[in-house]
Amino acid sequence: MLDLRTVRKHFGRLAAVAGVSLRVEAGEIVGLIGPNGSGKSTLLSTIAGAYCPDDGEILLDGQPIGGLAPDQIFARGLARSYQDPSLFFRMSALDNALLPARNQRGERARQALWRGRWWGQERANTAEAAAILHDLKLEARAQAPAADLSGGQMKLLEIGRTLMGEPRLLLLDEPTAGVAPGLAYTIFEEIERMRRLHRLTFLIVEHRLEILFDFVDRLYVMHLGQVIADGKPAEIEKNALVREVYFGE
Amino acid sequence: MILDPIGTLISLLTSFGVAAMIALSLNLEYGLGGIPNFGKALFVSIGAYTAGVTYTRLLPLLAGQAAPYPCGAGMSQALQVRTEIMRTLPAVGLTNFLMTLVIAAFIGGIVGYLASYPALRLKDEWFLGLVLLASSEVVRIVVRGAEPVICAHNGLSGLSQPFVFLPTAQLRAAAFAGMTLLAAALCYWFAQRVARSPYGRMLKAMRENSDVASGLGKPMARTRASVMVIGSAMAAVAGVFFVTNIGFASANDYVVGLTLDIWVMIVLGGLGNMRGALLGAAIITLLDRATAIAAIQANMLGSQFDFNYARYILFALILLVMLRYRRQGLLPEQLDTTGAGKFLTKLRRQDVASQKATVNRHA
Repeated sequence: MLDLRTVRKHFGRLAAVAGVSLRVEAGEIVGLIGPNGSGKSTLLSTIAGAYCPDDGEILLDGQPIGGLAPDQIFARGLARSYQDPSLFFRMSALDNALLPARNQRGERARQALWRGRWWGQERANTAEAAAILHDLKLEARAQAPAADLSGGQMKLLEIGRTLMGEPRLLLLDEPTAGVAPGLAYTIFEEIERMRRLHRLTFLIVEHRLEILFDFVDRLYVMHLGQVIADGKPAEIEKNALVREVYFGE
Repeated sequence: MILDPIGTLISLLTSFGVAAMIALSLNLEYGLGGIPNFGKALFVSIGAYTAGVTYTRLLPLLAGQAAPYPCGAGMSQALQVRTEIMRTLPAVGLTNFLMTLVIAAFIGGIVGYLASYPALRLKDEWFLGLVLLASSEVVRIVVRGAEPVICAHNGLSGLSQPFVFLPTAQLRAAAFAGMTLLAAALCYWFAQRVARSPYGRMLKAMRENSDVASGLGKPMARTRASVMVIGSAMAAVAGVFFVTNIGFASANDYVVGLTLDIWVMIVLGGLGNMRGALLGAAIITLLDRATAIAAIQANMLGSQFDFNYARYILFALILLVMLRYRRQGLLPEQLDTTGAGKFLTKLRRQDVASQKATVNRHA
């Protein structure tokens, strides 16, 4: 589904991503781990279109997406979440959930003037968003400002709202960062549920390896902008190079 | 000094209508869209400059007369021509005025579209604010030095409002006030419709975090351009009313101070709330007029204190107090953008009602 071929991204003389190749197959949950500064977040940002790759190919379902704008990449079915909760904090949780809806009538100023042209679709989207919020146990907070949610609720909303855009592949950057351990596990259970229910594929950057290893099918390990190992969690755990660079053993 | 209460009220209503249009346009751009347009005076001035050109070139043509060069030696003759046409040919005057509105909106929209482009390169929106502020001053200085638009630093008089043919001054002023308020009401309807729609939600998302909104599939460049087109066209239309209300176009009227007055209006009224923009416009217009009248009265009584300067102190204080104690303004933005929240509440009530009905049936 996602195929990266020797992708490079430099900032000045710093090679943040130095020739990364990886594959994510449809329906998989793939982990991306590595020490701080190894280039994981930069790689996610490059795949999602926030950065333009300097070299290499990024293919989504065989089609190149490298260098496309983030909204164009989203339209092709790839969504992402961020390390820090990136909600629209002064908007309600419901509005946060409604925003990613595809082909929303009334998103052009001209259509916006005539309520009759978009209100029917808005009502259908609201029912859909309410169902998502219900599944995330956020229904009671639907009309609260996103800023009033707890850290864990923010993370759940950030991941859950992407469903409104009907994505096929989700890139999650540290979905449990700053979240209590119990809720962190819940977030991964939610990710697993979303995979089953919505047939989603995930590429997840995460530092909480004890949780990540329970849920991922495969892992890639990055160090200094390069992939140094890949395989199933059990293989990665035993990999000497990974243990050296990641765990300092 | 004895004030004419009706005349003052009519004049206040006209000024309010103009201020409301500009405040609504800035509230769309910044209150909802997060674009700090510190060049608002530029877009208002576009309306004034457009009127300067249409009143001196288009108006005589519409009346089937030659258009004398409006500046320099021909200034008085040109003034006589347009004054005469406005007084004696009401249909021509009205047509010219309406065409001025359309042309000003069009030019304002184009300039707004072009102004949105630096934003694509400037990651921090406040740099765009500075670019617009500088552009506004540059254009003003260029127009003040270039004769063909409004006769450079001399300015251009005789840009009368279209009801100048009516018999009494009060009737003329009242008709124009009505027209201005009608235009302001249309702008309010437009802004409110836009704000309370999925487009308004997209504008809010752009304000909150345009990178994230883009990552969720929303075309930010197009959205930024479109709101700048709308806001700028609205401000240019307001500029036509502004200049024809005073009847005189001068580049010195479109200084940074005008922009700042509009900022005070929306911060006071409520960022992102269109009713707030109207409230802010009303309060600031009243205070502006009150201080102006106080300045004249004080001057007549031989006071050394100039209340015109008190106005600037007052507006600055309002801005500081609002930013310190009530950042959301007097009328805060509505959380439920499109009415989806209200619809959700209704859905839940129906759900609860149907569950109760089921329980009752089983009982």
